[in-house]
Amino acid sequence: MNKTTPNGISYREALDNYQANRELPLPEPALENRQLLNHFHPDYIEESRATLQIGPNKGDPCHKQLAQLLQSDSRINEADLAGAATVKTDVLVIGGGGAGCAAALIAQQQGAKVILATKLRLGDSNTIMAEGGIQASINKGDSPQTHFDDTLKAGHHHSDPNLVAKLALDGPDVIRWLIQQGMQFDLDEFGDLLTRRAGGTSAERICFYRDYTGLEMMRVLREAVYNSGVEVWNYSPTVELLSDDMGGCSGAVLSSLKDRKYIQVSAKTVILATGGIGRMHLNTFPTSNHFGATGDGLVLAYRLGAALRDLDSFQYHPTGLAHPYHLAGTLITEGVRSNGTYLLNGKGERFTDELQARDIVAASIIRECQEGRGIVTEDHQAGVWLDTPGLELRHPGLLQQKFPKLMHLGKKTGTDLTQKPMLIYPTLHYQNGGVVINENGETSIPGLVCVGEVAGGIHGKNRLMGNALLEIISFGRRAGLVAAERRKNKRSSQLSIEHLNQLRRELTHSNLSLDCEGPLLFPEYAKFDLDSDYIGLHRNRRSHS
Amino acid sequence: MSIQRSKVEVTINGKQIRVPSTLSVIQALWHAGYPRVQGVGCLEGVCGSCRVLVRRADVDGVSMEMGCQTLVEEGMEVMFLVFPSPSQHSYNLEQIPNSWEVQTEFHKVFPEAQQCRSCHGCTTVCPKDIDVEKGVELAVKGRFKEAGDLFIECIMCDLCMTGCPEQIAPNRVGLFARRVTAYFHSRPSNLINRLEKIRRGELAINKEGGES
Repeated sequence: MNKTTPNGISYREALDNYQANRELPLPEPALENRQLLNHFHPDYIEESRATLQIGPNKGDPCHKQLAQLLQSDSRINEADLAGAATVKTDVLVIGGGGAGCAAALIAQQQGAKVILATKLRLGDSNTIMAEGGIQASINKGDSPQTHFDDTLKAGHHHSDPNLVAKLALDGPDVIRWLIQQGMQFDLDEFGDLLTRRAGGTSAERICFYRDYTGLEMMRVLREAVYNSGVEVWNYSPTVELLSDDMGGCSGAVLSSLKDRKYIQVSAKTVILATGGIGRMHLNTFPTSNHFGATGDGLVLAYRLGAALRDLDSFQYHPTGLAHPYHLAGTLITEGVRSNGTYLLNGKGERFTDELQARDIVAASIIRECQEGRGIVTEDHQAGVWLDTPGLELRHPGLLQQKFPKLMHLGKKTGTDLTQKPMLIYPTLHYQNGGVVINENGETSIPGLVCVGEVAGGIHGKNRLMGNALLEIISFGRRAGLVAAERRKNKRSSQLSIEHLNQLRRELTHSNLSLDCEGPLLFPEYAKFDLDSDYIGLHRNRRSHS
Repeated sequence: MSIQRSKVEVTINGKQIRVPSTLSVIQALWHAGYPRVQGVGCLEGVCGSCRVLVRRADVDGVSMEMGCQTLVEEGMEVMFLVFPSPSQHSYNLEQIPNSWEVQTEFHKVFPEAQQCRSCHGCTTVCPKDIDVEKGVELAVKGRFKEAGDLFIECIMCDLCMTGCPEQIAPNRVGLFARRVTAYFHSRPSNLINRLEKIRRGELAINKEGGES
């Protein structure tokens, strides 16, 4: 799946070279960080960069694949909406991950009528797969200030400091709220929260539950939502936002995969919590993201005129499983490296400080592979070793105790991870940028709020482990509160897709193709647009072609 | 991708297809050109969406598995299962007055739980090898911490619910047990101290950068 030249050391030979190591010294960095990123990080591949030609970010650099979707035509036109039923609500939450659930729960608790619509099932999200944990500065030697400083530094000082300040200060209260929803965390013998250190941070600040933090969080939030008054619409992908005559967002057009029909939802506030873009497989990388992570929210918001930021910056998580093929891309938590696991090349050498920020570690792995020191399998997968046997040697029993999910993954691949290392390669993990928001998730479009991965500004050009889970709850709650307040405001209830006419004019004017339709909804290989089951949801073809 | 991989013949949802042996059953469907959208979720085995019924060539009986985690094998038959509607059990943690009342409340919410006839249906069907039945038994006795700990790896695929003749919804029993344990008994002093300091305004953030 990756573009690495399959130069390297064969799997068998590398396994012979390998031995579990008790201690290895930290290697001297051969390249300066800036140079390493420029030469080896996928964000810097020249052919992958494009410049946006229409919309609020016209002239800005953007990843080529994302640019194509941001400048795509809508999946619908007026004819598709003829006869579509209209449902009214105070708040429409789009997205069924952690951010959407937190926003829905808070808005509903404040008395708003809430519909939560999700493309797949409630909880099918990236949240559920998050393993590492959630940041909150609770230790004595740590403070929200240090959390703030670490986040800004890791993001190469491209973050919005106002957002990061809210994030860092919210941390401890987010943990309390999650416990109140019934979420468990790993505790010490006295009942205090255990913490571990994330790569690129200066204190132990990650709270966690084994390597199941996201699963534990998601099943609790999903249960809380199902037991609340929030109305949940599963299998209801959003295909468009609705605009009013004041340049605001007045609702959305949803499609029901069960009824195969379109529905218009009129809402005082729409909260986009649609997550990221992993399933766009940027630069043909494998991804750790769930099936629905196709960047829909970015496309919808952009069309309505919301500005985006840091569109050329994505996170490639250093440790994705590279072998076997059917599980390629599966994430291996950074927690394993936090506990002192080495990365080794095909010669059995340590080649980087494993606890630097993720972009640096990922670029270092890609460098090893490109320069022929990686390990190459028979089916041309390149990678490096994650030295779990070495960790077992230094801390017997720790793997089983702290990383049951990882051990289970080992079992599935027929590997005892205490004896044999895993082959890993960076996997497309996270969209660092997104829609520009303020401290409550509000965008420049009245009535449109964005939270979670779809929003930008918190992580700058690189995200720290544990800041995503914190962000979705911190800003999810903020969005829920502001949406609940806004339900009392008077505003235009016009439901229109007039902004699509504007979009089509701009596309034509810039000589851009009208053949590509967005949002993507599902990865191309799932063949949704060819599926005869959903024929009613494929657009009435225009006559121009 | 030039090397020739070995191929196997499998039947998925009644469609006979020949695919490389390195694929999961979901990848196999896609590879063969069949659309598949519903019932696909995280693709990492934790969301519980892609429930499949699997019959292997030389094995008696069937097993329930997650389609994204199941590698195709020669002669394998696979059926995707429809997801059931959520069970009707409803409760609100805030409405349980205190931890002395949890057991009473539990039996109000899950009246069927004590009807368990120990048929092992739930345990047999669990793709995560959880001792589900034991968990229900412990919860009925009010041993919630112990019960909840059995469900650490539960992915809420609802197969145990489908497999229960008494409609107990064992996974939700397990989740109830886990939630009351956190809600009533997690009171980390390091967290509480930090919240108090923030409340008193002692930890404001200087956006120009701190004491680095």
